[in-house]
Amino acid sequence: MFGLIGHSTSFEEARNKARSLGYDAYADGDLDMWCAAPPQLVERVTVTGLTGQTIEGAYIDSVFVPEMLRRFKTAKRKVLKAMELAQKTGIDITALGGFTSIIFEDMNLLREERVSAVELNWERFTTGNTHTAWVICQQVEINAPRLGIDLNRAKVAVVGASGDIGSAVCRWLQRRGVAELLLVARRPQPLVDLQQSLGEGRILSLEEALPEADIVVWVASLPQGLQIETATLPRPCLMIDGGYPKNLDTKAAAPGIHVLKGGIVEFWQDIGWQMMELADMAKPQRQMFACFAEAMLLDFEGIHTNFSWGRNNITLAAMDLIGAASLRHGFRALELDPAPQPATSLATA
Amino acid sequence: MVTLTTEQAVPGATPASQEAPAAAALAGLPDFSSAAYKDAYSRINAIVIEGEQEAHDNYISLGSLLPDQADELSKLARMELKHMRGFTACAKNLEVTADMPFAKEFFAPLHNNFQAALAEGKVTTCLLIQAILIEAFAISAYHIYIPVADPFARKITEGVVKDEYTHLNYGQEWLKANLETVREELTEANRANLPLVRRMLERVADDAAVLQMDQEDLMADFLSSYQEALMEIGFTGRDIARMAAAALVG
Repeated sequence: MFGLIGHSTSFEEARNKARSLGYDAYADGDLDMWCAAPPQLVERVTVTGLTGQTIEGAYIDSVFVPEMLRRFKTAKRKVLKAMELAQKTGIDITALGGFTSIIFEDMNLLREERVSAVELNWERFTTGNTHTAWVICQQVEINAPRLGIDLNRAKVAVVGASGDIGSAVCRWLQRRGVAELLLVARRPQPLVDLQQSLGEGRILSLEEALPEADIVVWVASLPQGLQIETATLPRPCLMIDGGYPKNLDTKAAAPGIHVLKGGIVEFWQDIGWQMMELADMAKPQRQMFACFAEAMLLDFEGIHTNFSWGRNNITLAAMDLIGAASLRHGFRALELDPAPQPATSLATA
Repeated sequence: MVTLTTEQAVPGATPASQEAPAAAALAGLPDFSSAAYKDAYSRINAIVIEGEQEAHDNYISLGSLLPDQADELSKLARMELKHMRGFTACAKNLEVTADMPFAKEFFAPLHNNFQAALAEGKVTTCLLIQAILIEAFAISAYHIYIPVADPFARKITEGVVKDEYTHLNYGQEWLKANLETVREELTEANRANLPLVRRMLERVADDAAVLQMDQEDLMADFLSSYQEALMEIGFTGRDIARMAAAALVG
């Protein structure tokens, strides 16, 4: 059995969702009430892959909302309690979605193995980052040529390059072959370490990198108040918004700049679930975060272990493995939509 | 506690800036000899002693409603008396006099509800109050207390927690076996009693904070244990959420 731990995108959204699901007490509750509320197993689901194999899963809402990020202890407890519920429910492999994996990483929850009476078994959890990284790479590979960008000649900026997903994307692009990797991240030292381990790549600030980049892979949360000077960007420019939350399309909207939601996959058929409506997907019945899909893939493949865990452990071999499984079981990376038209045909349309 | 709950933590910030307060809190146990600590402890400790005494009496009373289980129940009751003696020793160790009149009054609403149910022969309600609500609350509170307890009390409390699981389990098993006939009464008893637990918690929030036990932690942990017990009993999804929510909005 696979599990997904998720949350709503905002408190308001969460209350609306609670009402529509019949959790009226929650819908009427204030943020303090939500802070004390325990995680909920919201939905159970059966998923049939492309090969005909069927697996069972459950969606656990951590009852976390982004408004709680500033409450250190609350955020931490929300994640650990949701994991505890997943473990007690007997789920073999559970993916941490949205902010939950970010909280897990940044608040160093690996030290908190024991939640009240329960000892968490890390092997039952995955960040899903390997699949997310693979999907983002697929999105680059598939969509760049559609915009007339030749990957072999393209400069690719990876924003958040030294992070778990970012460093994996860099390694994959290096193997694939691109003209140049532009490495961007907040903290200098991990970037230098990454550059050394790659043996290539140029370290730049965001402002320096953007005007040079034919492709920008964002795998960091955008700083609040970030302004992107779209006029200075090359045309065409492919931007993969792999951060969380996905709000790049509002910041980089301009002709010739193509923003694609990164790390999202589409399943080959509808899944009878309500959970992805929480995550604001265009097609919630079959689209989902790649990290969630990783839990399904690991369950399909019978790999009940923490496949993606810790920082910067993602290998190319693991990406290839999860990528092959992804295709085999009926997932495909989200693509630009609709296919961009040349300017002339737009004018005559 | 205040410094931790107001600590700003934004994912993406450097880990070092977040580790500092947590590490400080770990190292900084309360000053067990301070007047403020002893004052707060006199009430919290009294509640615990009274709680164990109530538990003892309640299990004996339950034996009168379930005569075939009287032996098992009196065994549970004896364990509660042992716990009570342990916690009495904790107060003595810190040279604190437990404020028993406060504790008696504190427990009065739950005590009265239990007695009323007992008089009517309502086993389900009695079990919900004692074996589920009180036990789930005790387990959560003891778990949160253990890391901030003085070394003597810590050892005692660790021993007690293990026993309390047995008691919670007893109630769960009985209610599970009889779920179809008790479902309605259980739902009603939940509605009547769960909000009491929250009010009790609110009353001692300030004292608990002096002992470095955070109110939100206590509530959240209790609700998790309680939900889990409902799950064990055989309730599902929305029923559980609805029942637990009675604690938060009731």
